[in-house]
Amino acid sequence: MIDQNNLDFKKLGFHAGLEVHHHIKSKRKLFCNCPTILEEDPENMEYSFYRYFRPVLGEMGDFDPGMLVEFEKGYKVIYLANERNTCTYEMDETPPFFPDMETIEKGYILSEYFHCTSFAEEIVVNRKQYLDGSITTGFQRTFISARDGWVPVNGKKVRITNLHIEEDAARRVNWDDTSSRTVYFNLDRLGFPLTEIITEYTDIETPGELIETAKQIGRVLRISKIGRRGLGTARQDVNISITGGNRVEIKGVQDLDLFDLMCRNEVVRQHTLIEIKEEMLKRGITEEDFEHTYVDVSHLFESEVKHFAVICPKMKGLFGLEVQPNKDFGLGIFEKSMLITGIPREDQYHSDEFEDGSIRRNSDYPSKLKIDKQLYDKLCSILNPKETDAFVVVRGSEKQSMHALKKIIERIKMALDGVPQETRRFIRNGNSEFLRVIHGKDRIYPDTDTPPVVISLDKIEEIIRNIGKRPWEVSEELKSKYGFSQNKVDLLIRDEQLDSFYKFTEELNLNAHLAFKLLIDIPRENRRKENILNEETIERIASLLASETTIPEQLNQVISLLSRNKHLTDEELIVQLNIKEISSEELATIVKQKIDFIGKDKLQTSEDEQRYLPKIVALVLKECNYSIKGQTVVSLVNSFIKEVI
Amino acid sequence: MVEENVIFDPEGYRGSLRERLIKDKIRTWSKVSVKKGEAHYEGLLLPRSQHTDDDYVTLKVDTGYNLGILVDEETDIQEIGYQKGHYKLPHVDVEFKKELPNVTLLGTGGTVASRLDYRTGAVLPAFTPEELFSAVPELTSTVNLTPKTLYQILSENFRPEYWVKTAESIAKEIESGANGIIVGHGTDTMCVTGCALAYFLRNLPVPVVLVGSQRSSDRPSSDGPRNILYAAQLAGYENFAEVVISMHGTPSDSYNLVHRATRCRKMHSARRDTFRSLSDIPLGKIDYSGTTWFKDDIKPRSNPEDFYLDAKIDSRVGMLYFYPGMNPDLLESMVDLGYHGVIVIGTGLAHVGTDVYPALERCQEEEIPVVMVVEPLYGFAQLRVYETGRDMLARGVIEGENMLPSAAYTKLIWALGHTRNLDEVRDIMLTPIAGEITNRESPRGFMIMQGIEPGIDQILKNL
Repeated sequence: MIDQNNLDFKKLGFHAGLEVHHHIKSKRKLFCNCPTILEEDPENMEYSFYRYFRPVLGEMGDFDPGMLVEFEKGYKVIYLANERNTCTYEMDETPPFFPDMETIEKGYILSEYFHCTSFAEEIVVNRKQYLDGSITTGFQRTFISARDGWVPVNGKKVRITNLHIEEDAARRVNWDDTSSRTVYFNLDRLGFPLTEIITEYTDIETPGELIETAKQIGRVLRISKIGRRGLGTARQDVNISITGGNRVEIKGVQDLDLFDLMCRNEVVRQHTLIEIKEEMLKRGITEEDFEHTYVDVSHLFESEVKHFAVICPKMKGLFGLEVQPNKDFGLGIFEKSMLITGIPREDQYHSDEFEDGSIRRNSDYPSKLKIDKQLYDKLCSILNPKETDAFVVVRGSEKQSMHALKKIIERIKMALDGVPQETRRFIRNGNSEFLRVIHGKDRIYPDTDTPPVVISLDKIEEIIRNIGKRPWEVSEELKSKYGFSQNKVDLLIRDEQLDSFYKFTEELNLNAHLAFKLLIDIPRENRRKENILNEETIERIASLLASETTIPEQLNQVISLLSRNKHLTDEELIVQLNIKEISSEELATIVKQKIDFIGKDKLQTSEDEQRYLPKIVALVLKECNYSIKGQTVVSLVNSFIKEVI
Repeated sequence: MVEENVIFDPEGYRGSLRERLIKDKIRTWSKVSVKKGEAHYEGLLLPRSQHTDDDYVTLKVDTGYNLGILVDEETDIQEIGYQKGHYKLPHVDVEFKKELPNVTLLGTGGTVASRLDYRTGAVLPAFTPEELFSAVPELTSTVNLTPKTLYQILSENFRPEYWVKTAESIAKEIESGANGIIVGHGTDTMCVTGCALAYFLRNLPVPVVLVGSQRSSDRPSSDGPRNILYAAQLAGYENFAEVVISMHGTPSDSYNLVHRATRCRKMHSARRDTFRSLSDIPLGKIDYSGTTWFKDDIKPRSNPEDFYLDAKIDSRVGMLYFYPGMNPDLLESMVDLGYHGVIVIGTGLAHVGTDVYPALERCQEEEIPVVMVVEPLYGFAQLRVYETGRDMLARGVIEGENMLPSAAYTKLIWALGHTRNLDEVRDIMLTPIAGEITNRESPRGFMIMQGIEPGIDQILKNL
């Protein structure tokens, strides 16, 4: 395995695409009038029912191969539901209602933020098949808002190929046992309006660009005030490939901080699979080498459960290769056979586990088959492997074991092509596990329950006419005008304070840094002290500052007075601030006192001046009860110190 | 591929856009490029649905999504390739297995397989053996199933003649030795057809199971496959010989109920468990573990030699739903139009307003039977309880006992096919033939399996 911390992404031909799924703020679900409320305890529900799913033909007359594999899994799907946020639509017991027009409009607004050029002028609702049970109908209703947009990322354009609006799937719950054939879903989230934003898969060339792309998209959702906030409102799927590898989709990455690790672990995985392919070719392995001959070896194990083995010619040493940190090639294969057939990976064994220093034995899922030297030799005497052969043992019911071995052999054959195209599930440690065969376009067909919704270009133009500045335009502007860092801009966007910021700076002519302090620093500081400042208070303070009724030095006092009693009139406020009339002579005296207090001997050089100036100014301001502008004090203190030096 | 010189039909497109597509030789299913200012779209030009806006094209783009684009004078549209879809389920070879029962599936529309219709944008039944078996492969190991297509129509387009033809086809299959019959039927009027068949098929020797789906088979969650599997099990193996309807008993894919057709009614526009037995409980239920029978008056399989078809009908029968304020001229006009019999759905115990009496008298004079059934659906017509009811009886109306409207309607059609003598019609109408009238009403018929599902306790707790 190559060193995951030392990867040259450009040289490896790293490419990535991003699919951002984000909830759209909305009062109702996309295709029914249920409210968008999530249950706090998703396992405590009022009623339940269950279903089985079957694949159906795509519009062009083909089964989607991914769908057939899903069907093979044979899931029984149990749904949990509550009356207040689930109706017969989510139960798939009644046809859809008219789609939420507000959400459709928001789709166009987002498209405009992303510079899309090709808008859908007629919404055609499509069905995208899912047989995993996450949607009761077996398909997700989804439609295109627009195509061909872009976001700027580190000086280049990352293209947005499609912006979709769709209904969210149900929430999977009780997900403890990946091998179980029964899966559980909570229906509360099903039908939430969602936008899916897809980037051109070749445009992102480093993990850094991937993260920045995700951030740019996130900023748009925030700045437009269209994205719903809170936990679980955003999910990212990432497509990754390297030269010689294949497009692999990793689903469900919620945390941008994990992107880098995930990319590295996937690059390492693909790189190792390519090495395995090359080694297999070097050993002259072909598909014909593998036979679906499963040998019943149950009698060797003291157990009621059946055990079956299969020979993997010329594969010795390959199953044991580490494909991702702490996971070998064999375990990677077993993850797939487990998910499709339901035989736990711990009940699947490969012969490289017998070697010293086996990765599998120290992995999170070591085999539970106890195979010691004696048993190993017995297995060899029955299976009769050649020096370079490997073998696999699986335990379980006869039907399931056969199924698993079939899947294992199929997967090994696929190794001759290197990296299989598949959808994988992100695991918190940065690795990923097989989830399903990648879905193709054959799983999409038109929704016959919803006639096309005509939206004229004029109507679209009217909807998008008044969108605000894009995040990158705001960054550019605030950087050049006020020298704001991206971090500061992000805070304004994240806290949805940009409109107020523009109002304070452009209409009230407040200093930009003061406006930022008022909108971001002060509310955050107060929130930590559990003092929530409402928008009205902040706006009032801004007007007080703009009219110079108060000065910035008095901010803390103003806030504490207003927090205690928000009904104070401006006059009462000023009285309570206890502003002192201080003549310039009095001020000079105070300044001198404070300099003396610090000690003139400490003020010898200009460095000393730098160090003590803020302290002296603070002492003076306090003495004056913050009734004088800081700037005045600063220049006065400066000139006195100059004298001393 | 379409030949160059063939005049092609831009399916579904109309008006000036259609002319333009023809003029520019742009075919549906061709790959087209559409340019419009900065915007550029590429994709397959799909046929257009009939009831949609004239000036839009529907494109299937590279991701498989469809979207619509307005084509105006400034829009450039060009054909750049061609690929016709072939909507067909893969072929499955089916072997005849001696040990399995023989079941015929008569398709009348809807049900198990259906496909998209571009003309209306809705789904159409597609019903070939191949389609059926590849959609539900388990069928091949359950019974020797022979699918035959009678009609491909939506059930609201059924007519009494179609019931007759369906019954004739069933008779033919029984005479050829079928061990059971399945009738694939749209769910809307499934009960009506079921009632008619129950009267037509005399001394029925084998099960006749009507089945359909509430979720069309173009969806992965369709109830169709499970319904047809259970129907095959019932028709092939179970010991009963009645016309029944068997569909989902709950929203889950857990069990199906077996309803006597004459007691059954569709009670929800969309749910899978839409069918209920009214004023009685279902005959039984079937799940993966087998069939449980709830009732003991079920007619068992019998000698096919006693079987005969009696499908004489007179379809000049109308049905009137009485409501407060109904103008009696509705009933008068039915007499004027030459109807031979009328079912009136009356309020409560089966009443009509007194201002309808003259019209009833006219029916009596002209010897047109008027059969009263109840608007509440559950319970009996009882015209002797109130004075007004007795007034109605004096005007010759027939109390329809506890026949459901569809059972009474089909029965009157059948009765009038045999006689127009009022007394004989009354006799036929009041003699139970296929469970359409129960001689007693058990309270269970209003309480049990009327939509009460497991988990109701929790819902009641949270009310």
